[in-house]
Amino acid sequence: MEALTGWWDDYFWGALIVAKVFITSLSLMILFGLLGAGAKLSNNRLAQRIAGAYTVIFRGTPEILVILLLYFGSAIALTAIAQIFNPEVKFVDVPPFWAGTIAIAVIVGSYATETFRGAFLGVNPGSIEAARALGMSTLQTFIYIRIPEMWRIALPPFGNHMLSLIKDTALISIIGLNETLFVAKQAITVTGKPFTMYIVVGIIYLGFSSVVTLVVMGLEKFGNRTTVGAK
Amino acid sequence: MSFDINLILDSLPLMLSGFGITLQLLLVSGFLGLILAVLLLLMRLSNKWYLDWVAQVYIYVFRGTPILVQIFIIYYGLPQFEAIRDSIFWNILREPTGCAILALTLNTGAYVSEILRGGVLGVDKGLLEAGSALGMSTSQKFIYITTPIATRLSLPAYSNDVISLLKSTALASTITIADMTGIARTIVADTYAPYEVFISLAIVYMIFTLLIQKLFGVIEIYLGRYTRREE
Repeated sequence: MEALTGWWDDYFWGALIVAKVFITSLSLMILFGLLGAGAKLSNNRLAQRIAGAYTVIFRGTPEILVILLLYFGSAIALTAIAQIFNPEVKFVDVPPFWAGTIAIAVIVGSYATETFRGAFLGVNPGSIEAARALGMSTLQTFIYIRIPEMWRIALPPFGNHMLSLIKDTALISIIGLNETLFVAKQAITVTGKPFTMYIVVGIIYLGFSSVVTLVVMGLEKFGNRTTVGAK
Repeated sequence: MSFDINLILDSLPLMLSGFGITLQLLLVSGFLGLILAVLLLLMRLSNKWYLDWVAQVYIYVFRGTPILVQIFIIYYGLPQFEAIRDSIFWNILREPTGCAILALTLNTGAYVSEILRGGVLGVDKGLLEAGSALGMSTSQKFIYITTPIATRLSLPAYSNDVISLLKSTALASTITIADMTGIARTIVADTYAPYEVFISLAIVYMIFTLLIQKLFGVIEIYLGRYTRREE
């Protein structure tokens, strides 16, 4: 344990970066998921095709490939663009934070697309008809009927997507993001205690997963507060 | 920035030469993981609180931490202890492939046991009561009623897990294994052509995913042959 002395603050900053990646990629993931679900449910053939390709591609490709492709690929693309304006530019660095965050958001967003689509289709048509019969407008129906019902259906799988996101942040260390796994690597070169250092990383991630699980449980309870006893 | 077709034609055979290792990782850890999953399931279904508790903690830890961290703990971490270097397990743990298989097995076992548990819990109570009425013993009921039905119920979720296991095998490239992803990363480091190499490899993985889905589709139809209704 004494090997850890002096490394706690590095782990703390690493954990903070994990949290930062998680929150940023979570908002992007929701955006991609909603766009994907919207496209799949739309009547536009082209939009349906694009969303279909999106889900097939990112659910069938290893996460690490997507991260590497986005990181190295965007560096090359940005360098080429920069050289148009200034031929003296040798290389444009892409921050691993953004390349990695966008990559995992795109990947998990493809799973969220199916979740949101399923939740939208899972709303009881009877509830919608009842809302119409009560004279609710489309907007009112959406806010008071659709969203609460979709929320209940989507939340359990959505909780799993959040867990995937938190765990996928570890992969971003491969392209050099200084999160906890990266901190551990540095600590190992100094202390020569790989087991101790990686176990700490494991415990940090277990803590994050536990918090996410507890939050989802709370939200599920909140979402189902009016259905207690109805089952 | 250009897209070099010749480079793809040159590198694709090289990457495919790693297909054997990817397949080996998938099949061996998939098979061992399934055995582990059944063991964990039996522990959870046994009415011994301590067995149930051990299985629950195991599943919680392995589902709550990133697979990459698990791989690093096993490959880089375990040799920290002399006792392990002197033990008979060292023959497996010395090799990166052995470590990757061990990590993937331990990880997938935790996920699959939860899938199987879902299948067991989905078995209709009435069928078990019918079994009791016919004078079947507990083990007979488990073998002849619960097992076939639970297998059928958990198959769709299980096929998803096999696909995520395939995607996880790509992480073996982080511990120097020359699977398809490992070879691709070497080629990119030499040629600096991430688009050509990573995109063509992604297509290979997608085709492999599609084949797995098709295979499970066939198994599902076979297992569901008694449940189809004649029109």
